[in-house]
Amino acid sequence: MKIRTGLFAVIALLTASSLQAQQRRLTGRVATVDGGAPLSNASVTIVGSTTGTYTNDQGQFSLSAPATTVTLRVRRIGYQQRNVVVPVGQNELLVTLVKDVLQLEAQVVTGTSTAVSSLNAANAVSTVSSEVLNRVTAPTIDNSLQGKIPGAMISSNSGAPGGGTQVQLRGVSTILGAYSPLYVVDGVIVNNSTINGGLNVITNASRGGNLGNMSSSQDQSVNRIADLNPNDIESIQVLKGPSASSIYGSKGTNGVIIITTKQGQVGKPVVDFTQRVGRATLANKLGSRCFGSATEYGAWANKNLGQNADTAGMEWTAATTKCHDYEDEFYSNDNLSYETVGSIRGGTQSGTNYFASGLVKHDNGLAPNDFYTKQALRLNLNQSFGSRFTVGANSEIIHSLTQRGISGNDNTGITPGDIFSQTPSFYDLQRKADGTFPVNGSGLLPGSNPFQNADLVKTPNNTYRFIGSITTNLSLYSSTSQTVDVKLTGGIDSYASKDRVVSPATGYTEAASFGANAGTLFNSDGAFLNANVNGAVVHRLVLPQFTAQTSAGFRQERREENTTQLTGRGVIFPSVTNIGNGAAQTFPGQTLGLARDFAVYAQEEFFTLSDRLLLTAGVNAEKSSSNGNQDKYYAYPKFSASYRVPYLPSFVDEFKARLAIGRAGNLPSAGRTTFLTNLLYEGATGTRASTIKGEPNIRPEQATEIEGGFDAAFLRQRARFSATFYKKQITDLLLQAPIVPSLGFTTQYLNGGQITNRGTELELDVTPWQRGSQSWVSGVTFFKQTGFVDFLPAGIAPFNPGVGSFGRYGNAWIQAGQSTSMIQASISCSSALPASGVCPAANRVLGKAGDANPDFNMGFSNQFQYGPVRLTSLVEWRKGGDVVNLTNNYYDGADLAADTALSHKRLAAYNASQAPYVEDAGFVKLREITLAYELPSRLTSSVFRGRAQSARLELSGRNLKTWTNYTGMDPEVSNFGSQPLGRFQDVTPYPPARTFFFSINTTF
Amino acid sequence: MRKYLMTLAGALGLTAGCVDQTVVSPENAPTTQALSGDLTAAGVQTLALGVLAQDRALVRGDLTYLGLTAIYARDAYRIDPNESRYVSETLGGQPDPGSFAGGGGWTNGFVTIRAANSLLAALPSALETQTSPAQKNVVAGLIQTMKALEYYRLLELRDTVGIPIQTQSVDSVPPLSCKANVMDYIASVLDSGLTALNAAGAATKLPFTPPSGFTAYGRDYRTAANLTLLNRGLKGKVDVYRGLQHQKPVASAFTAAITELTLALGGAAPGAVPAANFQKGAFVTFVAGGTEGAANPLSDSRIGVNPKAQAALQAGDTRASKIITRSTLAGQGLSTTFTYVGASTADPANQTRPIAILRDEELVLLRAQAYIETNQLTEATADLNSVRTSYGLTAYPVFADQASARTALLYEKRFSLFFEGPQRLVDLRAYGLLKAGITPAEVTGDPFNTAWPIPKAEADARGGKDKLTVSCS
Repeated sequence: MKIRTGLFAVIALLTASSLQAQQRRLTGRVATVDGGAPLSNASVTIVGSTTGTYTNDQGQFSLSAPATTVTLRVRRIGYQQRNVVVPVGQNELLVTLVKDVLQLEAQVVTGTSTAVSSLNAANAVSTVSSEVLNRVTAPTIDNSLQGKIPGAMISSNSGAPGGGTQVQLRGVSTILGAYSPLYVVDGVIVNNSTINGGLNVITNASRGGNLGNMSSSQDQSVNRIADLNPNDIESIQVLKGPSASSIYGSKGTNGVIIITTKQGQVGKPVVDFTQRVGRATLANKLGSRCFGSATEYGAWANKNLGQNADTAGMEWTAATTKCHDYEDEFYSNDNLSYETVGSIRGGTQSGTNYFASGLVKHDNGLAPNDFYTKQALRLNLNQSFGSRFTVGANSEIIHSLTQRGISGNDNTGITPGDIFSQTPSFYDLQRKADGTFPVNGSGLLPGSNPFQNADLVKTPNNTYRFIGSITTNLSLYSSTSQTVDVKLTGGIDSYASKDRVVSPATGYTEAASFGANAGTLFNSDGAFLNANVNGAVVHRLVLPQFTAQTSAGFRQERREENTTQLTGRGVIFPSVTNIGNGAAQTFPGQTLGLARDFAVYAQEEFFTLSDRLLLTAGVNAEKSSSNGNQDKYYAYPKFSASYRVPYLPSFVDEFKARLAIGRAGNLPSAGRTTFLTNLLYEGATGTRASTIKGEPNIRPEQATEIEGGFDAAFLRQRARFSATFYKKQITDLLLQAPIVPSLGFTTQYLNGGQITNRGTELELDVTPWQRGSQSWVSGVTFFKQTGFVDFLPAGIAPFNPGVGSFGRYGNAWIQAGQSTSMIQASISCSSALPASGVCPAANRVLGKAGDANPDFNMGFSNQFQYGPVRLTSLVEWRKGGDVVNLTNNYYDGADLAADTALSHKRLAAYNASQAPYVEDAGFVKLREITLAYELPSRLTSSVFRGRAQSARLELSGRNLKTWTNYTGMDPEVSNFGSQPLGRFQDVTPYPPARTFFFSINTTF
Repeated sequence: MRKYLMTLAGALGLTAGCVDQTVVSPENAPTTQALSGDLTAAGVQTLALGVLAQDRALVRGDLTYLGLTAIYARDAYRIDPNESRYVSETLGGQPDPGSFAGGGGWTNGFVTIRAANSLLAALPSALETQTSPAQKNVVAGLIQTMKALEYYRLLELRDTVGIPIQTQSVDSVPPLSCKANVMDYIASVLDSGLTALNAAGAATKLPFTPPSGFTAYGRDYRTAANLTLLNRGLKGKVDVYRGLQHQKPVASAFTAAITELTLALGGAAPGAVPAANFQKGAFVTFVAGGTEGAANPLSDSRIGVNPKAQAALQAGDTRASKIITRSTLAGQGLSTTFTYVGASTADPANQTRPIAILRDEELVLLRAQAYIETNQLTEATADLNSVRTSYGLTAYPVFADQASARTALLYEKRFSLFFEGPQRLVDLRAYGLLKAGITPAEVTGDPFNTAWPIPKAEADARGGKDKLTVSCS
């Protein structure tokens, strides 16, 4: 009986359309409020039904509507939506839309196949449009996001060309697990690995030995999201935490960055062309000591080199007494950088639309011969087959070639920063007239000359990448009250990354470091593949009382990597690049990985009370080959509610309260098994179990987040304010704990412990001035976050999470009750200092010396438009947050710092075990500034002979000015690249660059 | 400054290939699960070499096994202005169980034992088409012998503090066993090795080429017959100290040792082992530089010979060539102008100077020791003299009593096995000679250390040092 009733209800719903009353045809036009320009691709729907259409090129629409009074909802990207009541008898209308300057109404992602208007969104999802993203050209896409997303700490690891940037959303969510947000491009999960490029074979930063470790986290490498072409991007949405990212299950704890590329639009082809030309200059330098007299140098040489003070002094006098500014001399690559971007976009009435683009980019580094070049081609195609079936294909082919030089920590005296810190500044290191390079005369180094190294040593990375996806959408059923859509997306991200290091034996450092085995070659070849398929069914039921959207689907993924590395030494001829011709070769190294995941999910979104209340509940269940139990499904539920308050004071246009709770995971990258380790014995390979014991029950980290807040628009949508508060608790942390060593292991993988992050994110956007073509739009973002280790599992003592054991200077330290970003260092001496001033090693007291987490972060953006002239700026302020400045210790140890008195003071404090190298690294940076001028249409028309619709000239700059008390070159620096913890080490880095570009943009 | 970075860099987090951000699990990288499947001949070879390489890691590690034992035994100093603990935790004070020497020479040994246990468990599943049952037996014989050697090395360093006997389980933590029990266990492992070697048949050879230390030093240990000599030699050594240990002395051990050592010496009668055979044996070999980077750690300019050891040399003893003069090495209240010939960094060959696992000269001296302890002084004298006279010294008349024979034995062992491992330390302990009043203090407050403690990591993981109990039932 019940079944019958249910069936009847379903049939009644499905046939509701046939029960509709008489119909009428509504026709109209959608245009801008100022000027009445037609708006194509605007969506026009009848509120309370699924009936809708889109406007054509002329902004016109036509649709069938009931003969009763109806309300039309008109929406278009970039404009504020409008609801228009159409009374009985009116069959024609004009709808004008106001620009959505403050982006109040973007569509935000709620599932892999569903989205809602940001008016209703229950999460603080940040959206960055193409226009905001590309105001100032940046080395990589992650740089373009700096300062634009509250809750996102985005830091450049160094100033080397080609990227190397860390994005951290809502604080540290793991200690030893994966720490990068998940990047999704048009439905494809893309790889953001950092492949260590093998610099260690010449810097020996991570291990001694003639044929030591091939690569290390100190190789100053790039994270591969750098490959994407920012110019292709339509919008970026950032799901900052598990309450929003639970739809991505066990890869969601670090947040998700969803990138949507540009698609074609119905209309004639629009060609866009941009040419940028610019250059990079040294943004900051350290300087070094300038000896003023023979006596001063003699005393230095006596103390530091054990030389006779008088003889050394005579040498100084005999040499030129000019003080060289090594940084100015070396980081002076003034070749032009350029970027050429072209695209064509259009669509036909027969249902084909397309977007194709090309990019050629060349960024010069500051040091001689350093550069980053990239070429990218994209084709996005969509084809409709009737009104029910569409197929889309997105594809991008990218090649990048990076030559980033040598920087960061070294133990061979090869890094320019190291050389400068150890060379009295009167030595001339520049190329001589005869083309040769002087041997560095400083007694502290093995003759190293950075100019020679820059000339001889090559460290190229070549990456070839393909990202492609195919999307199909089948409208299985459609009536005025219901739709059923089936969506299927499949895609791959595949790339080959080839790193080379070529360091000829003729290099002074090479010869000194490797003696008979001088002449180094390194090859690393990596192949990476991500493939995933998503399928979803979405049912929408639209009734006057409520709208219910039900979606269910699956997601399957496969990730592979295979990297092989090989080093040869003793390659005598500089032109020889075959490792087999080296006198000695390393044992080859290989990293091999494969992971497979499968997830099913279901979600219900329920709108009611005139679309004011949105309730969402969903669950994602996922299994993975990375887990101990590969067949077990882990559940990631979410629940959210938002309510748009109806009765508001007159100056408030919208007020929405929201609350979201969700859980996401972080897969173990290792730990399910105990690996085998190779040992050599007289060159033959031996094998034994690794000393890190696997845990057969290893499972994902679990992060549960509760997020609440409100969004308000007021003063007739001239202002918007948003406030978000969250608490994120991560349990079952992936850890390595000590084990009873007599079992034959030193550590074991395990899950346990807990971290709690809390934060506040505020956004205020206002339009203080808007009149005709004059406007001023201003935005302020603020965020503050804290993270604490609540507890560690029994038996785990506080520990250094493994990045930079610079205990005396400062390293990361994980301890219950302490901040996750705590910096531990030698902070005092437990005994009275002896006459030498040096605290004995045994008496150095380790303790908290600082915290890498800033007190808060703010971003200030402004856009002034005065007719054809536009000025935009972005300033980022990071208050507090500490860095360990080991570069200062290089200079202090050699007594060659520019400020001798300060240097002596620091060294004395260091000897006394007082952590002088932990420094406040807060800063204010002028991230972006652009002055743009839109050429008058008459001029455009005459210059381009009537072919161009518009043309714009731009002058832009990035990182032009930094205000900071930090004594190093750049407070964002990280010697160890991207790291969950311990990224705050400054060790003779590549200096920061300021870049200027002049651009011309034309649209045909 | 460069030095600090070198030191620090060693501890830095290293990543071989790439930093996973989209989480690729190395599920198809080799894991110990591979050992539960069919084992190929190459697998047998690499796993066996893994055991031998890991044993070398213990011998090399942190200078503990070769260097610190010589310092405890008052044969060596290591004086280093940058690392005072070579004195302050040896002759000048107690070793810290948390770091440096106190934590050393432990994990490496148990990792070797784990590697041996893993291979012994996997061997039965080796493909018979590639490794015959006889070959499996000869491999098992070698690995059982190496496993016993590793336990013995751990005992040499730790003496009576307690050693856990590892089982095949990687999860259950075995209790600490007392020295007597560990020695009994070592004896049983060696006997299992012998059973396997016997089952292999004398002529069966190892199905792979072991490192040159097993083939190039006068005897080719690839055959079961010669591996039996090593196995019995080690059993004889263990039995000598089973007899000498104080917890539960095994009365019959000396007699058994004489039989085993005679077998290991090819049946040679007392005094009948030719001097030409003394250097024959199995060795740990070293490789300098390169990826392997496994030099003999005794090649070290900071090492010196204790002047008292040099002064103890008898006139005319050609073993004096093992001690050479050097520039004065002084500090922390110690000073010497002598060093071990193999410590000189001027001779690059010292980096690859092999260290004996067991060689015939030591076997002859061990047999002499067993004869002394069974009061067969004629035989003891004959064996001792065969060694002594080969170094240019006059023969002893037959000893009148055990005490004088022991004194002579200790002299010959000291200089025959000088800087070859912990033999002298073990003897000094066995005869109770390493204590105040008998041994002169080297520095003020000399604690006369005889062994190293249970490392802090082991104690902590077992619930703290107060929870450590040694089972001797």
